[in-house]
Amino acid sequence: MAANGQSDRLFPVAGVLAYALPGLGYAYLGEVRRGVLVAIGVLGLTLGGLLVGGLDVVDRQEDKWWFVLQAGIGPVAWGVDAYHQQDKGLSEPRITRSLGRVNEVGSLYIAMAGMLNAIVVIDCAWRSSGRSERRGSRR
Amino acid sequence: MLAYTVFFDPLDVHAVWWVSVVPLALGISIAYKAARVKTFEAFWRNVVMMMVQILLALIGLAGASYVLLEVVVPMVG
Repeated sequence: MAANGQSDRLFPVAGVLAYALPGLGYAYLGEVRRGVLVAIGVLGLTLGGLLVGGLDVVDRQEDKWWFVLQAGIGPVAWGVDAYHQQDKGLSEPRITRSLGRVNEVGSLYIAMAGMLNAIVVIDCAWRSSGRSERRGSRR
Repeated sequence: MLAYTVFFDPLDVHAVWWVSVVPLALGISIAYKAARVKTFEAFWRNVVMMMVQILLALIGLAGASYVLLEVVVPMVG
């Protein structure tokens, strides 16, 4: 039970959709505008990180702790990592290694996107009953 | 010089890496405010406010770190 008397409810489908694609969980709950803005923020940060540091900034094997945070984005992070691991196995990898600050900045962008999407997943999956029915207005 | 390929090569922004803090703060503000605001009437104003707060906090932390390392530590040492 929430502090204001409203009961908390689980929305597992919304949580799964929010993890599958940033913003999709809110769209499922009827808050399309919120979902679009979350998608712009999270996917914008992800693309920004990949633009600055290149695909090298997502690496489950060499940058494990960065990836723990980056994985919050969902399948996008897992997909980029799978492509990166496949590329590393080639005799002439296409992805250039990023070094120094550029690598750190790119990693940070995507880690922040992952942590923000984790908040969104929790917010979609577990909310008070009143909130889930209100469209476009909360708190 | 080899050709630059977007996403496959990192951007050559080593000298101005700190500029990337601005779009980082903007992206964080958009995603966070999108999840937290009650209504969207003043959404972009809230985003700009949060972005400015993040940037001012980072500038303040940078200044404090500079004073600590360049002024306080040499005085103590």
